[in-house]
Parts: sequence; structure tokens; C-alpha cells
Amino acid sequence: MDVIESHINTSSKEFKENYEHYERLVKDLKEKIAKAAKGGGEEKIRLHKSRNKMLVRERIEALLDPNTPFMEFNPLAAYDMYDNKAPCAGIVTGIGIIHGREVVIVANDATVTGGTYYPITVKKHLRAQEIAMENNLPCIYLVDSGGAFLPMQDEVFPDREHFGRIFYNQARMSAMGIPQIAVVMGSCTAGGAYVPAMSDETVIVKGTGTIFLGGPPLVKAATGEEVTAEELGGADVHCRQSGVTDHYAENDMDAIRITRNIVENLNRPEKTRLDVTKPEEPLYDIKEIYGIIPKDLRKPFDVKEIIARIVDGSKFHEFKALYGTTLVCGFARIMGYPVGILANNGVLFSESALKGTHFIEICCQRKIPLVFLQNITGFMVGKQYEAGGIAKDGAKMVTAVACAQVPKFTVIIGGSFGAGNYGMCGRAYNPRQLWMWPNARISVMGGEQAANVLLTVKRDQLWRKGKILSEEEEKAIRDPILKKYEKEGSPYYSTARIWDDGVIDPADTRMVLGLGISAALNAPIPDWKPGVFRM
Amino acid sequence: MFINYEHNSHVYNIEVERKKNQYFVTYNNNIYTVEAHEIKPGYLKIRLGDRIIKCVISENGDNRFVFIDGDVFRVKRIQLTGMKKSSRKEGDLTSPISGRVVRVKTKKGDIVKKGDVLMVIESMKMEYLIRAPYDGRIKRINFRENDQIDMGEITVEIEKKRKKQ
Repeated sequence: MDVIESHINTSSKEFKENYEHYERLVKDLKEKIAKAAKGGGEEKIRLHKSRNKMLVRERIEALLDPNTPFMEFNPLAAYDMYDNKAPCAGIVTGIGIIHGREVVIVANDATVTGGTYYPITVKKHLRAQEIAMENNLPCIYLVDSGGAFLPMQDEVFPDREHFGRIFYNQARMSAMGIPQIAVVMGSCTAGGAYVPAMSDETVIVKGTGTIFLGGPPLVKAATGEEVTAEELGGADVHCRQSGVTDHYAENDMDAIRITRNIVENLNRPEKTRLDVTKPEEPLYDIKEIYGIIPKDLRKPFDVKEIIARIVDGSKFHEFKALYGTTLVCGFARIMGYPVGILANNGVLFSESALKGTHFIEICCQRKIPLVFLQNITGFMVGKQYEAGGIAKDGAKMVTAVACAQVPKFTVIIGGSFGAGNYGMCGRAYNPRQLWMWPNARISVMGGEQAANVLLTVKRDQLWRKGKILSEEEEKAIRDPILKKYEKEGSPYYSTARIWDDGVIDPADTRMVLGLGISAALNAPIPDWKPGVFRM
Repeated sequence: MFINYEHNSHVYNIEVERKKNQYFVTYNNNIYTVEAHEIKPGYLKIRLGDRIIKCVISENGDNRFVFIDGDVFRVKRIQLTGMKKSSRKEGDLTSPISGRVVRVKTKKGDIVKKGDVLMVIESMKMEYLIRAPYDGRIKRINFRENDQIDMGEITVEIEKKRKKQ
């Protein structure tokens, strides 16, 4: 295969400035993640440990095979929401490896408001289940939660994608042959009681694990009966009398040992085979990406320089290199897995969209996973392009992306604006995972453009009444819009709301994509069956 | 190392390992041990098993003409794998996109160096830089700041610096 030759001058002033700037972005990201990983703070951690309980991350680490990676989703969920009272949304989710096979872990953090479910907690739990469903991965729930966060019950309980969906998913996944395993390591109250009850196989820890529909205070209020939590729903009750749980664990560590044994006996089907080669590091240092991404998002950069630093051996077999050049398409390998890459190198024109459509069709026929490197300000606008049918050509690409059932992965490496987001496999197009780099921006259009559109509309309205806007009035309309777009376009605003699966250091991109593809191979790749392409 | 060469429209893939004057050549799963001495430039004495072959090799571009006992063989080394010299697109002076000229960074008569930024065009939230593709003198600037420009229109004209005799 051909090797991408880099034209980056790593000793230029521009490179160094960009590099320093980006290093700060990455440092900021890592600090944010480290802070969120501390959960509910020292006081709550001490209390948790005094009950002989392991912390949520300790539990996960002990559960997974030693020295294997844990691909965590949304460590910054609920960032800057709920007065920052729910770091990590009080739940840790991700893909890890047990006895050599990938599983999805969903683990409550009881140090964060007792592990109760805020609206974003529910969303994060459901997203992890969705990932399990798409990739055919067993689910392990490490339960330690007081159930729904009652003050926000209207945003947690009643709707389709709310609390009830968790149990609906458990039943559906079990029916699909995806094992559901619950480990009760703390409270499982009210709705939460259904997590173990709906599971295929359950473990409960003596002394700390409890399951009941109504806790002691509710029982007292309802019937006057006085009971302790342990008497009402402890390990002895559920393992010896009720049969709600299957395995009796002496403590957290014992529960983890039993859970590993359960996974060992799952008899998982073989993974889908791809033509895999030995992974090879890129020729160029992946961290050079820091110096390639301009500080100013408006400045374009050559995406092939990025590809050269992500793919095995920097080898890239480019497709239609001379046609529709604003979309770079080609074949490569990431951690040994074959991939088809689509990467933006400017605005999408009709030709670029047609090329992308053609390329997606090829990858779907050959069952090659797709990787989208998204940096897109949109499809080209203007009279000439509308008359040329850019809407229908864009629609072809969107159709192909929507119908592609090969595993898709999206990394937003720059801007993500408007219909470009759709064509480049944005969240709505079901990529198996969607990651953002800390320099990324996402919104329906740029703030400047949105402000100008709204200003024009306002001007026209007033014009009909015979009035015009003064400069101050214009500023009063424009400024709040710019501010709003600036705030909401941030990757942290996005990741807090789970519009992505996490903000990552560009240097981790190869690894994260490799893990994602490996996990995706637990599910079969269906045949290509597209919808109608408007010609 | 792997070598691919073409002869009579057929591609041969061989692997060669060298130890001093000895070459171990793998072709079609057979290993041949070859000893070669260059008697004078272009003249080779080759020992292949118990045969001794004298040959003359001449070069013409990528082609090698090998003369052995009055026969001539043309072989051509081809590269099937590895580094492809990517031809870096020379910047040209046409606008890559329809948009608005936001800055003109040069004026008529200026001497510019290859890579200098001459004009900045803004379109679709992005800034596009027009850089001098070669050294020269600005002959004409076709757009002013805030002008609308169409894709493919010539932004600036440069009189190319003549090479020194």
C-alpha cells in the first residue's frame, strides 16, 4: 500500500504555537476527567469505604482481566449540570474484557447522591445498553443505587426513553441472547430492584446488598411494620427464601470473583472474522496532530496529515484521489483491522457527496468498517450549487450513511455543522461510537451565520413597518446569539448531554477505534441493502 | 528485500538476501544461490550453480538491457508497494471556492516569495489562503476587500521570476 508522505514542518513557529495551544486543551480535558472520576468527594468516599464497600472504579478494575483496557463512555456526563452535583452522572459505563471477551459494564457510583438516577444518568445507562445491543455484548450491572432522583421525577420516570426503558432493554436483550448479569453491591430500591430481578443471573453481597420494592421507611408508613433493610431484602432473604438472587457473596471481592466465573461460562458465539493483520504504529508521531490542528477553527488543514498519524504504517490506499477532493476516501488499517475512511478536506460539493456515497457502497459490499473523520462546515450553498442538485447528491450520501450496517465510527476532529453532520455520520446516524476531540465544535450552523440569519429576518419584519434597526439594537440581537452558540457548541456541553460517547485526547484515537472495532465484531455484519437513491 | 520487475509483460516477484558477493534469491518458492562479481562497470560475472554467466547491463531510464550470449533481455524494475511520492498540489492563483475576499495582503508591483499569503477568502465559515505558487512580481490584483469572488476566478496575477542564466 502507498504511504502518506507528510509535508508538516514540525519546527515551524506555527506548528509549535498550535502544539502548545493543543497541549493546554488536552491538559484541561484530563483535569476535568480526573476531577469527575473522584465521584462524590472525599467525605462520601470515606463513608462508602467505612461500609466495607469498594469504590466503583476499584470494582471495575478488579472485575476486568488484568492489564486490559477499559473503554469508558462519557466520563464527563452531566458536566456543569445539576450544580455539578452529579460528576460522571453518578454512573460509570464502558466496554471491558473478562476472560478474553468484551462485555459492557454499567456501574453505579453510590458516592454521588446515593447512586440515584438524574435524567442524564438514565440517558447514560440507556446508551450503554444500546452499545451492548448493537455490538451483541453481555451486560454486567454493578448495582448500588437508590433508584430515581425524586426531585426530578418528571424528567426521569414517565417518558419512552426514561427509567422504564432500562428494564425493557434488559428483557429484549435477554431475548436476543445477550446475557444480563446483575451484581447487587448496595441498595437496589424501588425501580432499581428490577435491575437484578430482570437479569439472567444475579449475585448479591452479604450485609451491603439489598433489594426491595419499598424500603423500611415506606413499609413503616404503609403498614406500620418495623424491619431492618437486611431483614427486608438482604442476601440471606434473596438467596435462601425469595430466589430473587442466585449467588451469595461474602463481600465485594467475592462477588467479583463469582461474576468472573459467570462470564467464563457464558458460551459466547465466535466473533465475526475480518482480514486482520499485525498492528503497526504510524510512521509519524500521533501527537504531532497537536501541531497540525490550527488554533483558529476557521483555518483549514490537510486531513491526510491526520490520517497519516492514525492508520497502521501511515499506509493509505486512496479512492478517487482526483475527484471531489474535499472529501478524502480510502482504505487503511487501524490496529490491524481493515477500515474505510471518509475524512473532510473542505466543504462538501456534489462531487464529494457522490464520491462518499460510492465509497460507502464499496465498504458495505466488502463488509469493511467505516471511520468518519468529521470536520465539516456544511454542504456548499449558493444558486449554482442548488441548481446543480446538491440537495439530492447530499441526500444520496445521507441515505448511504443511514443504511450502512457495517460498524461505523465517527470522530469529530474539527467543526460539525448543519447537514454536513448528517452526511458524515453524526449521532443520529447510529455510529457504534462517536468521539470528539477537545478542539471540536458542534451546532446547526456557525454562531455568526445564525446571528446574521436572525438579524436579516428581523430587519425585513421592521422594514415592512417602515422601521430600521439601530446599531445598538443590532448588537442587542446579535450578541446573545453569538454567546449562546459559543457556549452550546463546546465539546463539553455536548459530552455532558451525551451527544457523543466522550471527549478524547487525539493521541488515543487509534486505540479507541481499535477497541471499538474489536467490540463490534461480536455482532454479525448484515448484507448491504440501501434505500432509494434520488438520481 | 522484495523486488518486483517486469519482463515481456510478466511481473516477477522475487526476494533477495545479500551476503557479500552471494545473493540468495527466492522465486516461486525456490531458492537460488547466486554469486556475482562486477568485473568493470556494467560487466558482471555470475555464478549460478555450476554455470558461469558473463553479461553486460546497460541502463535507459527505468529499463535495464541485459546482454547474455548474444541475446538481449529488457527488464524493468517496478514498485508495487511502499512509499509513493505524493505529488503535492502546487497552490494556484484561482479561488478554490465561492466566497468573499476578506483581506488582500499584497499590492501591484510587490515582490513575493513562493508560499507568501496574497489573499484571504472567507466562505462557509472557513478561511482560504491564496499563496504565491512561485517567486515573482505582482502584476495585477483582480479583487478588492469585501468583493464577492466565484470559484475558479483568478485572484492575483504574478509575473514569474526569470531563472538566472
